[in-house]
Amino acid sequence: MDLPKYQLSAEDSLTVFEFVSIGPKGNIPKLIKFSETHLKDFYNIGFGDKNLETGDIDDKIISNNGDSDKVLATVVSSIYAFTDLNPETWVYATGSTKARTRLYRMGISKYYDKVSHDFEVYGLKDEQWIRFDKEIDFEAFVVKRIKK
Amino acid sequence: MITIEELNTRKIPIVKIDNSLKKFKEMPLFEDKIKKANETLKKVGLPRLEKVQ
Repeated sequence: MDLPKYQLSAEDSLTVFEFVSIGPKGNIPKLIKFSETHLKDFYNIGFGDKNLETGDIDDKIISNNGDSDKVLATVVSSIYAFTDLNPETWVYATGSTKARTRLYRMGISKYYDKVSHDFEVYGLKDEQWIRFDKEIDFEAFVVKRIKK
Repeated sequence: MITIEELNTRKIPIVKIDNSLKKFKEMPLFEDKIKKANETLKKVGLPRLEKVQ
């Protein structure tokens, strides 16, 4: 995606990423982790702020650092990196709250035309996966890299 | 050194390797979301992939 994004760091298996959000609230380190689930090749993506004092990761905090588009583009680029290395994987994403899941939907909608060339994108609605639709309020999302 | 403009035009990002992040691999993080993902998988399974035109 041709969008401003932050420099990503990761350990060498590309399952844990870090970047620093820079804005009016200061420099906020963020962590992204792709975690295994019970099903092979199905990963959950989790994302949150890293508390430098406690070392905890908080995925419910609202940072309000004025860079949500850049943060979202950076998270999406981590999915590109992860699925480039693991092209057969599915990546599941849901917000920590309904409001945050709605934000994700808005984010996906905004860039859908670009990401849909590279990913199959599905949303969970009423216990069914359906192809992503900008008008539907989904409960979760799953993406898979399109084979080229 | 790569410029910000170059970085922004790449779909697949250039990732700086920092193995100090390995400690988070074994750390239980985002457990509630993983639980939710597992519940969804159990109930709904995977989407059926449609053929891309």
